[in-house]
Amino acid sequence: MEIVVCIKRVPQTAEAEVKVDPSGRDIVKDRLTFDINEADSYALEQAILLKEKYGGSVTAISLGPAEAEDTLRIALAKGADNALRIKEEDFTPLDGYKTALILYNIIKDLKYNVILTGCIATDDGYSQVGPIIAELLGIPHATLVTELEIKDEKAEVVRELEGGLLERLEINLPALFAVQTGINEPRYASLLAIRRAAKKEIKTLGGADIQGEVKSLSVLEKLYVPPVERRAEILSGSMDEISEKLVQIIKEKGLL
Amino acid sequence: MAAKKSVTIEINSEIRDALIEEGARDAYKCYQCGKCSSICPWFQVGTYEFPVHRLGEETLLGLLASSEEKDELAREVDKIYRCVGCEACIDQCPLGVNIPKILRAARRILVDFGSYPETLKSVVQKLRNVANPLGESPERRGDWSSELNVPNYDSRLEYLYFSGCLPAYDVRLKKVANATVRLLQLAGVTFGILGEKENCCGEAVRRIGAEKVYQELTKRNIEVFNAVGVKKIITTSPHCYTTFKKEYPDFGGVFEVFHITQILARLIVEKKIVPQKAFKKKVVYHDPCTLGRQNSIYEEPRIVLRSIPELELVEVENFNHNLSVCCGAGSGGLWQDWQRDERIAEVRVNQLLATGAEVIAVACPYCLQMFEETIKSMGKTTPVLSVSEILYEACGEVF
Ligand code: SF4
Ligand code: SF4
Repeated sequence: MEIVVCIKRVPQTAEAEVKVDPSGRDIVKDRLTFDINEADSYALEQAILLKEKYGGSVTAISLGPAEAEDTLRIALAKGADNALRIKEEDFTPLDGYKTALILYNIIKDLKYNVILTGCIATDDGYSQVGPIIAELLGIPHATLVTELEIKDEKAEVVRELEGGLLERLEINLPALFAVQTGINEPRYASLLAIRRAAKKEIKTLGGADIQGEVKSLSVLEKLYVPPVERRAEILSGSMDEISEKLVQIIKEKGLL
Repeated sequence: MAAKKSVTIEINSEIRDALIEEGARDAYKCYQCGKCSSICPWFQVGTYEFPVHRLGEETLLGLLASSEEKDELAREVDKIYRCVGCEACIDQCPLGVNIPKILRAARRILVDFGSYPETLKSVVQKLRNVANPLGESPERRGDWSSELNVPNYDSRLEYLYFSGCLPAYDVRLKKVANATVRLLQLAGVTFGILGEKENCCGEAVRRIGAEKVYQELTKRNIEVFNAVGVKKIITTSPHCYTTFKKEYPDFGGVFEVFHITQILARLIVEKKIVPQKAFKKKVVYHDPCTLGRQNSIYEEPRIVLRSIPELELVEVENFNHNLSVCCGAGSGGLWQDWQRDERIAEVRVNQLLATGAEVIAVACPYCLQMFEETIKSMGKTTPVLSVSEILYEACGEVF
């Protein structure tokens, strides 16, 4: 089984102080740590698990700056067979569509039965890249995948819906799956594998390797921290009065 | 006759060399006598097997964290992060083999590849981002001192008081910084703080294996110290103390460094602080690994405690001074979520309580936090106080 997995190197912002830089279109990154995007790390693990079960090879692709090669090397250390960096510097600025278009241009010439991506990137949060690649390739896809099994050229997939519902699908391969975090338990890379990965080649592709024009459909105008709304209200009175008021507020807001 | 089983182990010299390059050279000295394993706090915990005496050999065979099997590898990485850097093994080893340094070599490689526990990743992230492990805003680092009338350090003042991260931000530990400052003021010591310009000393992050983040913090601190002309530093934490004293010189930062208990002991001997109020309690003193075993500061905290009227100072049987058992917080241990029955702190708390003490005295913010949380989770109520807090109370002051 030939598996392609798209991974992205992102700044770790979950617990960080995030500031907008002077351009107003990016964040200040000099005090942030970088790592593989969380959902992509599950996608990578899923790719390796599939390979371990069904054989074949895993190709990890990252559209990113030179430092993204660190992330690709981690993928190699964990079990990817090939790594490919597409030079982000040749294409910026990027939106979700353009990113997908570039990835599509590369992936279409590769062999694949399964393409995996994370379901969302923690930096721009578009959630677009996976589905657009699938549409451009003309193959089926499923997003928010929480289970993935392969049976006779078909994938059995469980995906998340709203309100805690799950959907079970059978999808013909080749197909793309945008996986949800928690689908598996990402592994560590061993010292042995890290040494091996250090010697493997990471192929780079750039603007010259993409035919045709790749254009964004949207432009990032401005990035800002949402203004803090002061909606806190402290209820006072006896316990009974407070409960009464609380119930009233909940009703007024239509929450009950 | 039973058939002989033969096991083939492939020696990986490349991994060995990589580890040696990252600082594991001591592995060559080990002759597997096993003393380290028996003194390691994990041996006393008893529910987790940590064969310390095999780590040197595993390093030389290139076997450390090298399993190709996912679950086995997870156990091996976990093992590398079990060491709490207490250095009891170094103290007892006939050849002084530095086991934590051997493990740190492996940690450095793992950290570079993001192959280490998520809880620790989050700590490294915060240290890089806001220069403290709590993820608090750097602008608020000096807030603890707002009502204390402490000047920012300038070179006319004798000492820089370096509060450290937990005493700067943690509600409980702020009280320690508070008591410290008031005692120094009481004794007429001239000192200042750095406020929001203070960064974490980097001790923990270095021991976790994030050497680059450590060096960033170190360089930033040295720059700040030099810019305001710091010569002498007083620390709350033995961890900041040891880092400034033994590790900053490698980066060109040479300062005279004191742990707060050294200063307080001197002020007592010089009669600049005279505790007059009785502290009528049985108190056990816990030697922090980093202050005692690692820096031979055993007497000073005891001088302080003994100077207090009616305080009865007791010792843990056998496990005191260099045989003190770690609280479990070092080298990243503070942030690990080991299972309830796998906690080093509980072993130590039981030893401390077995003395019948009514108060546990500590001289390290990590020990304080670790013991307080553990005592609470054990359903007990024995207070844990820093030496500074007890002395402050004995000077007739209360918060
Ligand atoms: S005590 Fe020292 S020599 Fe003995 S096994 Fe441990 S590290 Fe090796
Ligand atoms: S430093 Fe302490 S925890 Fe680490 S191996 Fe040595 S005795 Fe065990």
